[in-house]
Order: sequence, then structure tokens, then C-alpha cells
Amino acid sequence: MSDCENTNYIGKSVQRVDAFEKATGKAKYFEDYQIQYRDLLHVKVLRSPHAHAKIISIDVSAAEALPGVITVVKGSDTDIPWSDLPYASAYYGNPARYEVIWAGQAVVAVAAESIEIAEEALELVKVEYEMLPYVTDQRLAMGVDAIPVTSPELEIAAGYGGPQPEGPNVMGSYKLRHGDVDKAFEEADVIVEEEYQAGKKSTSQIECNGSIVEYQQDGGVKIITNGCGVHGVIKNHILTMYPQLTSSKVRVIQPVTGGSFGNRLFPLVEPLAVLMALRTKRTVSYVLTRKEMYTSSPSNWPVYTKLKLGAKKDGTIIAEKLELVEDAGAQIRGYFDGRLSSSGLMCVYNIPNVHCDSYAVSTNTVPCAPYRGLGCAESEWAMENLLDVLAEKLDMDPLEIRLKNMIKNGETNAYGEKVTSIGLGKCLKAVADGIKIDEPCQQDDGPWKYGKGIAAAGKQNTPLGRAEADCLVHSDGSIEILVSCDEQGMGVQSALRQMAATEFKIDIARVKMTRADTAITPFDNFGASSRTTYTTGNAVIIACQDAIDQLKEAAGREVGLAKKQITIKDGKAYIVGSNTEVIDIADLFKPFDFFTQQTWGLLKGTPVRGRGVFCPAPAVPWFGPGHEDGRTPRMWNWYQFSAFGAEVAVNEETGQIKILKLMSTADSGNPINPKLVEGQIDGGVIMALGFSIMDHHMYQDGKMMNPNMSDYRLPTTLETPLQKNFMRAILPDPLPDGPFNAKGMAESIMIPVGPAIASAIYQAIGVRPTEMPMTAESILKLIKDKEANNAK
Amino acid sequence: MQNKSNFIKVDCEVNGKPVSLHVSPDQTVVDVLRNELGLTGTKKGCDDGNCGACTILLDGKAAKSCSMLIGQVRNKKITTIEGVSNGEILHPMQQAFIDTFAIQCGFCTPGMILSGIAILNENPDADEEEIREGLHGNLCRCTGYVKIVEAVEIARDRMNAGGAKNEI
Ligand code: FES
Ligand code: FES
Repeated sequence: MSDCENTNYIGKSVQRVDAFEKATGKAKYFEDYQIQYRDLLHVKVLRSPHAHAKIISIDVSAAEALPGVITVVKGSDTDIPWSDLPYASAYYGNPARYEVIWAGQAVVAVAAESIEIAEEALELVKVEYEMLPYVTDQRLAMGVDAIPVTSPELEIAAGYGGPQPEGPNVMGSYKLRHGDVDKAFEEADVIVEEEYQAGKKSTSQIECNGSIVEYQQDGGVKIITNGCGVHGVIKNHILTMYPQLTSSKVRVIQPVTGGSFGNRLFPLVEPLAVLMALRTKRTVSYVLTRKEMYTSSPSNWPVYTKLKLGAKKDGTIIAEKLELVEDAGAQIRGYFDGRLSSSGLMCVYNIPNVHCDSYAVSTNTVPCAPYRGLGCAESEWAMENLLDVLAEKLDMDPLEIRLKNMIKNGETNAYGEKVTSIGLGKCLKAVADGIKIDEPCQQDDGPWKYGKGIAAAGKQNTPLGRAEADCLVHSDGSIEILVSCDEQGMGVQSALRQMAATEFKIDIARVKMTRADTAITPFDNFGASSRTTYTTGNAVIIACQDAIDQLKEAAGREVGLAKKQITIKDGKAYIVGSNTEVIDIADLFKPFDFFTQQTWGLLKGTPVRGRGVFCPAPAVPWFGPGHEDGRTPRMWNWYQFSAFGAEVAVNEETGQIKILKLMSTADSGNPINPKLVEGQIDGGVIMALGFSIMDHHMYQDGKMMNPNMSDYRLPTTLETPLQKNFMRAILPDPLPDGPFNAKGMAESIMIPVGPAIASAIYQAIGVRPTEMPMTAESILKLIKDKEANNAK
Repeated sequence: MQNKSNFIKVDCEVNGKPVSLHVSPDQTVVDVLRNELGLTGTKKGCDDGNCGACTILLDGKAAKSCSMLIGQVRNKKITTIEGVSNGEILHPMQQAFIDTFAIQCGFCTPGMILSGIAILNENPDADEEEIREGLHGNLCRCTGYVKIVEAVEIARDRMNAGGAKNEI
């Protein structure tokens, strides 16, 4: 029995729809489908050992001759439909053609009857390289005299050459001018300035990237993959790359997947696996090893930020000047221009005069792509740290300066875009209270020193295209929602199911989810920028309303009432405003009858289909006439916010950091399922804890030195505070246009963690880190430098 | 294609049933479980023995099945995630993972559940720090471990309060 009250599932922690199958080992991930194919081929890839080299020759004859090898692919093969694309952001999984531009780039690929044979074949491949100079440090990659990441010939061959006045490796730039910054700095009472760097890291989801591609008898392919965006990304890219494949010949299925965090937003393994399937006319499987996950699947983009702030005596910040450089890694063409990271420096505080020069440069390191937070954890690292410096100079506390300058609901930010939802003030106050920022830490004589810090964060949501949903009402009265959104573990299909049950006012057990198969589920773009709850959620609501509308009409016709006199709840039609049941939904579906021939009405076995299409309003261009200042009234969409506070211990002798207590708060909009939101908070905090103090790529001689899970140090249960010291709260500000006023939240959680820890370190030992991660070695160096300075 | 002349015979028990394997000696336990026995609940997340996704129980103790050759399980009792529940009746550890939302992407879950069971097999009263110590070889990138640790504690309390006994 259910009534409206208990069929309102919004804000309730309903059990995840996939929990049972995951707890019992029944959930099928793409690799679990391998055993269905007895004739499976395996793909293995030979990768460049050099950061930058010209490919002089490749001899694959011995590999091809090895029994069990079916085909060998190299970049110069004439049947490869891409000549220039291995060097562009979306395609860099394919073998290089003229030149390798990072250590780990694919050079030769083999498909063989077994993994062992494929690996043996790779050992037989001979590649002759001519070494070229390389640059792996983004600061050295800037400027007109920098070592070029790619040779000019390659760029011309790739079609992207041309004069680059800002330096050979500059990929793009974004500039914004708001107000009069020079004048504002003149009027400022206090000015602070510092340079910050955030390092290179890998999302390190536990399931490695991979696909199985089944060759179809009509010449098409069925792709089972853990890549993101079955329609919007994978299918689209495959169709572009292989003109012989037309829309009906590509089917993409995303089964249960083991995390992504941004890493799988571009097709990395699918294009090569498809090529192998087309060549061999067989089913192939291509799975990256963990080492390949580090050396060939994308990292975040490291960010260098030079930031200057000017404030009045009362703490009002009136001027901001930033120079920001995104390191895009090894690629020639991409979407990088610094705009994504610099957004973090313009969405939290309301500063009337802003001067932003941001760039992207390439380096000879593994190509970069989104990593939870889209570069804002890297850029806001600068803002939050410098705010503490400013607060100290003004003799203000870190909470006060943030609250004073925080952007308010309804105000416009530096872009000229209106903020429609922000709950950051209460988030910040809660963390300050939670860790008792006003109570100083007790110190003792040991090497461990103690401190506390807080920080705030915001992250824009990019309007990334439409989402569609279908809602089936089956003739047994149950509901099925068809969507193509990614489910990387965040639980979004569970949240969407709650929305659908609430719309239908029906017991949630009667709502089923079918997801991510291009042959049966409608279009969606991809699970990026925390957009799924918002975009796909709105599409689901529209689809439900469409289906409900059809049911009302059918019920009205059946009982002689107007559609608007009917309401649907609990699988039944009622007269509006009463408890008078007129018909059970299941009874609207009539069995076939010889004398009516089912000429009208609903037929048993044929569900009612509601359609939902939701398109977020597009961004308005920030370039071209009228936008010379880089501003636009709609740069992004909505903003998510979070705050973080930590109490840490720092060992003065070793530089080691321990997190003793932490609190994270999230403005998630109205949360659909609080436990799912908590899970995102917990996971985000610990992921950020890792990249703030532990994990990062280390390079030596142009190569990543730690491409495995022991040297690339990720947080375990031992680095994580005990439960009683791990506090969190959801403090929403409803988003007017969000589904049930919800918005996405999984990214902003990450952002304030590093700066809050840095602030606590300063309180503990009086040094201000400017580089992230704050490894023990780097903190120890700061301590030594300080001692040396004091001695002078 | 495969040369079977060097294959070895391995008798063991998998999820309560005797199994007689005829396999190449260089096969790892995880590959045999997944590819020969179709027990795909055991996951593979790395090739260096560091992620813990492949954790199984070997005579009741947690073991990383990617780091063992098949010959090492001769005459031993293996439990995989498929053998943890009793038909439709979930093990208290599985139920606790579901109840506490300790599962997100689920890729680490089978290994986490088995490590959790192994911890309580050894010490039914394990406290939070002991649980953390016991789970530290299992990486999770989604949950921050908070709800996972909570799940093991809840399973411990329920089992100690006389819930289904742990007999694995
Ligand atoms: S698969 Fe990673 S430890 Fe076994
Ligand atoms: S739930 Fe995704 S790795 Fe643990």
C-alpha cells in the first residue's frame, strides 16, 4: 500500500538498485563477458619507451609470422582511417605515425589468439627511433624558446601547424577582463601575490579500461565497454573514424563499470579494438594493464597559477589578477585553453575587477583529460592558499574573509553570469564549527605539531548537451525507465529511479531501470561535469510526465472523464482531488479481441511509451564581436559548492602529515538520496586526501617512474581517519531548475581538501606549501628552508 | 593452439564443491577462477598484487588470487564471492555492505567482503583499528572506506549478536 506521502522518494536513502548484484558477485563488468566468446582475440600494444622520438622504421615481419598472431597494426598502415588523429585529444590511444611524443604512446598493436602470444609478438617488433629533445615540466614548456613537444613537420602533417606567437607549445588561451584591475590595485590597502603549482595525478579507478568488440555479420560491431557516453562519445567517435560503419552498424553497451572519475570520458581503447574487429572479422578484447592505465590513459591536467589579490582594510577584495597555465600533456589539438581551470578562480568570490590570462601548453607527458573537478582543485589551490595569506595580513580570520567575499545568490560573477544556487556560507560555517577552528590545538614537546585549517570551493557545471529518457508503462502497471547515462558507481540510476517512482506516486519496487545500450536506450551525452542528476534527471521527469499524460487520457476515455479530471497514483487512476478510484492502470491494457481487432486503446503487452528530452540552455559564446573582454552572460550552467576543515599533525623531523580530524560539507542542491550523497562526500574527500599529500606522477628521463599501485601511493584504510573523526554534512541550497531542485555535487568535494590541509600545516609549523601534493619530502624541504632563513 | 603436455592436475574445493582442474601450471588462481570456472565475481584490478580486488578466502584466510599460481591451491578450500551467500540468503557481511551503502562502483566489493569475513574469522571482536589493518590491502577509490569499515563493524555486531554464523 502506498499513498503520496510514502511514495515521495525524494530525500530518502532508498537502497541502491544495483547493491544486491554487486554484493553477490553477479554484477557483470565488461571483462566478465570474455568467457562467452570461445574465439576471442586479445589485443596488446607496444608503447614508446621515449618521451620524444621520430619513428625511423618499424619492422613487424617476425611478429606477423608468429603462429597465433592474426593482425598487426602500426600508425603508417594505409587502411587506418586516421592519419593525423593519434595526436588529438580524443584519439590518442591509436598508434603513432611519424613521431612519438610521450613515453607510453602506442606504436604497434597486435591481435592474437591469446594474451601470451600477443605479448610474445610484441617482443619481436623492431622499432628504430631517432631521439628528439623533450620537455616534461610545464613551466619549461612555456615561452617562445621552449623545447617543442612536437616537431614542426609532425604538426604540419597533422594539419595544425602555423604561427604560435606565445610559444611552440601553447595550445590555446583564454583571457577575461572585468572592471579596471590596475586602478583597483592602486586603491587596494593590501596586496598579496604568489605562485602555485598542482601536480599530475591519475584517477586510478580499480577497474582498468577496456572493451570487447564483437564483429557482426552485417559488417557492423557490437562494443561492450566501460568507456563513457555510449551514444554521445563512443558511438559518435567510432562513426566519425570509420566511415564504413553507419549508425545502424554500431551498437555500444556499457555494462556495470568500475569507476571513471573523468578518466574514461574520451574513447581510448574502443577505436583500436574496433579496427581489430573490422580487420579480423572476429571478436576482440582489449584491456589496459595497470601500468598502461598510468602511462597511456589520461591524467588530470597539472596547473600553474600566479595569483595576485588586492583588498581594502576591511577585507573586501577588489582586485584579482591571475596568470594560469594548464598542462595538457602530449597532444597537438585539444580543447585546452586554460578556461576550465580558471573558472575555479571566478566562481566562489565576488571580485569586481578581474584580469585573467590563462593558457594551455603541451608537454611530453601522458595526455591530460578531465579528473573529478575539471582542473578546479588545481586552480583553487592557489586562491584558497592566497586568501589565507591575505587574511593574515589583514588580521582577519580565514572564515571571516571568505564569508565576506563570497558570491551571493542572485549576484553575477566575473563572467557576467548570474548565480542561481549557492549554499556555501552554511557549508563553511559548519566546517569551522565542526573542527572548532577557534580552539587552538594543544602542542607538546614532541616532533608532532598540530594545526587546523578550512577552505571553500566551487565548481561550474558545463552544459554538455542533451539527455533523453524513455518511460515505459507496462501492461502489468509497472514502470521501466530507459536511459543511456553512465553509471560509474555514483548511484545515479538509483537516484533516477527515485525520481520516476515519485512522479508516478508508485512503490519503487515497481520501477525498473534499463541503461546504456544504444540499440534500446535513447540518446545521452556523457557522465561529465556532474551533469547526470541534473540533465538526465530532468529528462526522466519529462518522460514520466509524458507517459502519465497518456495514461490520464486513456483512463479518461475508458470511464468518460476529461483527462484533466484524472490523476495517477499507486498504479491506479483516481478522480482529481478525491480518493475515488476509477480504474487500475493494468486494466487499461486490453487483450487482443477478434471483434475489436484492438483498433484503439492500449494493448496488453504493448507498453505506453513516454518520451523525455532535456536540453540545458547552451552557453553563449565568450569570443567574437561584443565579447572582446571574454565575458558572457552564460558561460556555464549552475555551480556546486563545498567546504572542508581539517585538523592535522605535522612531524617537524620528517615532514610527514597525519589527518587527525576532518569535516566536509556539500551544497548538493536538494539531495535525492542522502546516503548516496554521503558516499560521494566520503569518496571525494579521500581521493583528494590522496592527491593533496600522497599520489602524483614522478618523472625521470622523460618517463613516469611510478606506474604501479605500490609506488603510486593511494590512500588505504590506514591513511583515513577513524569514523569518529570523519564528519560530514549535506547543506543544500535548492537549484530552481534542477530535478526536484537537485544538482550535481561529486566534484566540488575534492577542491577544498588540499588548501585546508595547507592552512593547517601553516598553523602547525609556520610554513606555507605552494606545491601540491604536499609530500613528506616537500614539507621537510620547506622546514629546512625556513630554518636556513631563520639562521641568516 | 595450446600445448597441453605440461598441464598439471589440481584438486581443490571451490565454494564447498570438490573441483578437479587440468590446467597449465603458469596460470594464476584468479585466471583459473574466472576463465575456467566462470567465477567472474573475483575481480582483477592490477598486475602487481596491490589492489586487492582479486581477494579470495583460502582455508578461511584472505589471499590475493592474482599473486598465486594454481598449484598453490592444491587440496585447499577456496571461497569466492559466489560462495559467500547461502542461496538467496546473504551472508551478514554482504547484507551489511548493502545496508550501509558501502558499495558504489562495486569493483572492490567482492574483495572487500571477503577480507571483511577473513578479519572476523580470525578475530570475531575486531575493533575499528583492527578492521582497518585487515582491509588495508584492499583499495577502494569510490567510498573513502568510511562506509566499508562501518559495514564490517555492523556485520561483526550482528554476527556476535547471534545472526547467521560465519562458517566460511
Ligand atoms: S588484481 Fe590487484 S591485487 Fe590482485
Ligand atoms: S566501490 Fe568502487 S572501488 Fe570500491
